[in-house]
Amino acid sequence: MSIFDLGERFLEFLTKVDIGDFQLIEGSPDVDKYDIAIVEGTPITKENKKRLKEVRKKSKILVAIGACACLGGVQEIKDYRGDKKQLIRQIYPNIRGIDNPNIKAVKEIVKVDLEIPGCPINKEEFFRLINQVLEGKIPEIPQNPVCVECPRRNKNCLILLGKPCLGPISLAGCGAPCPASGFLCDGCRGSRKGINLEAMKNALKMKARLSEEEIKNLLERFGKLNELYANKN
Amino acid sequence: MNFMRIRIDHIAKIEGHASFTADIVRGDIKAAKIKIEEGARLFEGIMRDRKDVEIAELGSRICGVCPVVHTFAGFKALEDAYGIKVEEPALSLRKLMMMGQIINSHSLHLFFFSLSDLFGFKSDLELINAYPEKTHDALKIRDIGNRLVEVIGGRAIHPLTPCLGGIRQAPDLEKLKKISDDCKNILPLAIKLGELFINLKYPDFSRKTTFVSLTNFDEYAVYDGKININVGYSTSHIEPKEFLLRIKEFQAKDKVAKRTHFEDESYMVGALARLNHNRDRLNLEAGKLLEKSGLKFPCYNPFYNILAQAIEIIHCLEESIKILERIITQPIKVGEISIAERTDRGVGAIEAPRGTLFYDIKVKNGITESVNIITPTAQNLANLEDDLEEFEQLGGFKDLNAEQKADKIKMLIRAYDPCVTCSVH
Repeated sequence: MSIFDLGERFLEFLTKVDIGDFQLIEGSPDVDKYDIAIVEGTPITKENKKRLKEVRKKSKILVAIGACACLGGVQEIKDYRGDKKQLIRQIYPNIRGIDNPNIKAVKEIVKVDLEIPGCPINKEEFFRLINQVLEGKIPEIPQNPVCVECPRRNKNCLILLGKPCLGPISLAGCGAPCPASGFLCDGCRGSRKGINLEAMKNALKMKARLSEEEIKNLLERFGKLNELYANKN
Repeated sequence: MNFMRIRIDHIAKIEGHASFTADIVRGDIKAAKIKIEEGARLFEGIMRDRKDVEIAELGSRICGVCPVVHTFAGFKALEDAYGIKVEEPALSLRKLMMMGQIINSHSLHLFFFSLSDLFGFKSDLELINAYPEKTHDALKIRDIGNRLVEVIGGRAIHPLTPCLGGIRQAPDLEKLKKISDDCKNILPLAIKLGELFINLKYPDFSRKTTFVSLTNFDEYAVYDGKININVGYSTSHIEPKEFLLRIKEFQAKDKVAKRTHFEDESYMVGALARLNHNRDRLNLEAGKLLEKSGLKFPCYNPFYNILAQAIEIIHCLEESIKILERIITQPIKVGEISIAERTDRGVGAIEAPRGTLFYDIKVKNGITESVNIITPTAQNLANLEDDLEEFEQLGGFKDLNAEQKADKIKMLIRAYDPCVTCSVH
């Protein structure tokens, strides 16, 4: 949806590229090769996974966009709960034929050349980066914390006010809209490299008075908890 | 040929992934089935044992096209459970966001999903090339819808300012004033778009349908109301809680999206249902356009859901102008409230663009015990399949070849504006 909401710029973008498969606006049959494949969402069904592998084979460059594709997304919470088998039975009387795998990000299934994270993605960032890809580059998102962008739109640091916020460990690039609206940064873009996870947990415990359970719930919201541990100094 | 199987894989120009199969036996369509191809994300499961407000925050993530309605249905369910009344101006701010949601969702569906069908184009790319000015108009209309959500909600997708009891932070008054002006400038474009849709030819198909929507005696119900359901010739107004007790949610084997029946009957929700019930409460220009269309009620032709959406866009722009004029005259004061008692059951019902959305919840000490989410599209699936079973009655259907039949079927599915990812969640 964010891409669509580039509005006039999206229309202009359409004049620069040949669309192979964008089911939202056209139903043409699939093509043999893609220069760029843009993938959103988490592959859950067997069909999803099969199609993802096919698309990877046919594509020179594969770009994963959004928290679901990059991290796993909120649906990954079911894996951290550890009771997905009970959950599915509680929701569906007939579970046969409903895939209930452990949630994987796109890069855990195929090679990904560029990730544009966020829930939702920042359409300005998307537009900027995808145009660089069209020019033949593979851009890198600077590994800054959200804190770098936050003061531009928000006068008061949430943590200093004793409120929870994952800004220090989260990847900047969104423009920090959440603290600007009085909402915490909940890490929807995933963590940046070189984080001090223990310090973050301490700040949440000591300053924001969160319990262990609340800290766990916050960190696991968008998935890929193990990356948090891998991104440490 | 006595027997033909129709199979449409990957129906394009709908939200989400679905396909369709049916048999055509001696001209009659049988066993019409919509197959939902989305994976199950188990939202109703992951919300459990987490903080109550995450019902709304996570619920928003069910859909990128209609996140506002999920957010509000979630908060409304909690407010119902805790006995909280949302006061002004927060209530007006929420209603403005709902107007924005309907405007942005309908304009997307009308122009980019359904119009190609009505013109006979295979792809939107053809439509955009053939009608560049109308495309720009449609984008302007979608954009004002997005801005209403963004300026008040903090973000167009997955809004940030809705909170338990109201809206957390006041929007920038200058930005609101600009939006108010822009709504007035865009209203004529919406009326022009509406006139385009009046003058199109809609397929001639009709099946007696039960309609369900919210109804409210003060206004064209979107944010609040009782459930209005007409079965046969009688109309009832019942509380959402009671409605939920009387519907049956069922899941066929191998089906990842449930369906619902009211007293063993399928029913339809959405713009056409709302017009059937509440058209006498439309705003002025919307009402005038409906009059001009000559549409007779009750209207049982699902293709007119498209025209109904065009009329609702006009209504919502007029409503936004009305609300904005009232609230921009003074500084807007809102804030979070604190609630101590957080244990009870509650239901939140709201009119999403595609129809009535329900969140049925149970919370204890601020932690969610259970959630049942019934989305408009899940409710419409049974009705859509019932329509498809009778679809051979569409004027001229029998004389079409297989590909043309498939095209008409896709058109019907698109007219419902299904939001497939919502139907699964």
